[in-house]
Amino acid sequence: MKSNNLKAYLLLMPSLILAGVFSFFPLAKSIIGSFCTISQQGEIIGFAGLDNYISLFSDKAFVSSIGHTLLFLVIFLPLNTLLILLAAVLTRRKEKHTAIAECIFLTPMAISLSSMALIFREIFRGRISIINRLFSMDIPWLESPDYAIAVLAFLGVFLDFGIDYILLLSSFRKIDKSIIEAAAIDGAGDLRTLFMIELPEARPMLAVIVFLAIKDAVMISAPVMILTAGGPFRSTETIMYYYYLEAFRSGNHGAETSIATLMAAFSGLMVLALAKWRKHDEIC
Amino acid sequence: MRKAFSLLLLMLASLSIYAGGSKEENTITIWHQFTGTHSQVFDEILDGFNSTVGKELGVTAEGIYQGAANDVLAKVKAAAGTSELPEIAAMDATACLDMKESDYLITADDAGIDKNLLLPAAVRAFTSERGLLAVPFCCSSLILYYNKDVFDEANVILPRTIDEFTAIAHLVGKKDADGNIVRYAFAGTPTTYELGAFIGAQNGLSYMVDGKNGHFGIPRKVLIETDGTFRNFLIHWKQFFDTGYVLNTADQVQEFASGRAAAMLNASDHLPTVQRLVGDRFEIATAFVPMTDENATGGVNIGGSALFMFSDSDAVKAFMDYILSKECQQKWAEETGFLPASNSVYESNEFKAFLDEHPLYRTAVDQTLSSNPEVTGIWMPSGYQIYHTYQSEIQKVTEEGKDIDQAVSDMADFIQLQLDDYARQNSAG
Repeated sequence: MKSNNLKAYLLLMPSLILAGVFSFFPLAKSIIGSFCTISQQGEIIGFAGLDNYISLFSDKAFVSSIGHTLLFLVIFLPLNTLLILLAAVLTRRKEKHTAIAECIFLTPMAISLSSMALIFREIFRGRISIINRLFSMDIPWLESPDYAIAVLAFLGVFLDFGIDYILLLSSFRKIDKSIIEAAAIDGAGDLRTLFMIELPEARPMLAVIVFLAIKDAVMISAPVMILTAGGPFRSTETIMYYYYLEAFRSGNHGAETSIATLMAAFSGLMVLALAKWRKHDEIC
Repeated sequence: MRKAFSLLLLMLASLSIYAGGSKEENTITIWHQFTGTHSQVFDEILDGFNSTVGKELGVTAEGIYQGAANDVLAKVKAAAGTSELPEIAAMDATACLDMKESDYLITADDAGIDKNLLLPAAVRAFTSERGLLAVPFCCSSLILYYNKDVFDEANVILPRTIDEFTAIAHLVGKKDADGNIVRYAFAGTPTTYELGAFIGAQNGLSYMVDGKNGHFGIPRKVLIETDGTFRNFLIHWKQFFDTGYVLNTADQVQEFASGRAAAMLNASDHLPTVQRLVGDRFEIATAFVPMTDENATGGVNIGGSALFMFSDSDAVKAFMDYILSKECQQKWAEETGFLPASNSVYESNEFKAFLDEHPLYRTAVDQTLSSNPEVTGIWMPSGYQIYHTYQSEIQKVTEEGKDIDQAVSDMADFIQLQLDDYARQNSAG
């Protein structure tokens, strides 16, 4: 038993070392740093107590960034889940032409994040944008705070679509066909089979997709950077974009370490919630 | 044996990664943010150096694009203290606060650059308590771009002040029969750059923060509230916006180029780009930036970027001499739209002939030469956040009816918070 344990730890060692060096050590450094005054050059110059956190929450822009992130989440999460569910449900049975639809739905995976964000920027740029021309509209998509966050959410859906679709589709196709066939023999229609058998079977994967979407929404930064740069009028500044500005543009290490600590705590809570949910789901 | 040999090969291959990253001693590496035409012309200048002065000295200048100006700064800070730090980096005013506090910068004064040969406003733009920090290279100023066809048709006199623009807004703007705007008189929401002129020029000379806009010492106190300059600007700007012919936007170039706005403010070096975007759609003209009021006589400040040195080698000094030469500066100015940094260019007949041939370029030159060189850009921590907060406050005042005094107070508080934070982190408190 003991030698088995040793073997297991030895096998885990490379991952533990990597996690220690690249995750836990920087995290510990951030947590300590968040209670210290750090110079622009990155040197700890004194103990700050809670000053960094007080300063962070005194900044209206940071508080606003939490609001913007939540707004993004509220738009993105249902839209993302519904569209992926719809696409996966429609193509869950392999038929003659589903390969074409699968190819279309998987296309976003072939386009890099930055390329897609740049394409979106051109499509929605200004009142004489491509989208306005196509549909004879006069909407200031990226110029108006209300629309800009919606465009950002739409871009988010597009970026996540491919990977989420393939996960859910594979989950649907993994379902034991004999159960579905038995249900059909018993007279269950397509809708009844979907709601009573297939969706409950795909629920664990759907939960993973939802948790991934929440993680992506809370961590969103690069699409903001390219599509809106936080604008117009700071209306699309999310928490992580705010972090980027403070850490990389302003060299404000107090804000940087405080946000890193808060976000790590949030991620920890999310992982715990997912683990608890999965445990609960297994019991049920 | 075979395994050991493979392992050795792998190790050697790994080491080659580091070898690839090392710098050659006879190379002057220049990190920059130039793209498009700017990049092309800069490369031509480097080729010129390499085939003449560089060849004599046995050195090669190599330009490396490192993203936007702020990305260059982030990378310079990351490379500080390592062998990866370039000899030269082109960065804008947002880098100055960090650079003047750094111990790895070789200031232009330390490098022995003769300031008397340079445009005074450009020298002031990059001067701190450590002297001239960097060699001004991409100098530009804010100018008014306007649709000449529209202004001629409306038969109006060019506005000298915001109030004068307010008076003619309905003449250069246009609405359809249903009262919908077809053409705005002006597009754009002023922010730090524009306010450098709208605030800086008030009462002959004004500053946003102490230390002459943060150029001397670490800025500690915001001034825009106590001296009333931001309030004064907002009062005039709100009246202008209330005409209904002003569009709040951060993408004014597109609005102007498409003909949906009759005027905009933008940097003078964007002239070639604006001309390309407008094409034959209408005739472009340029003018001085309208003053906030009759007392705002300070003019405009110099914007753009400068070449910061991190080596005091003879090769770097020779490169700087080359880049400040009349021929080089003239080429750079004529092909990019930047203002020449060297005084000698302004006196040359060739450049005078160029300005006669290209009158749109003359506006920035005349405006800069007639401005108070003490009107300077602001060096503040969190410059990017302040930039967008200015726009947000102006948008709230104009579109949401926010009380002007409240907006001034909020803006001042926001800047003060950034200054306090910076001071706290730099033991200045």
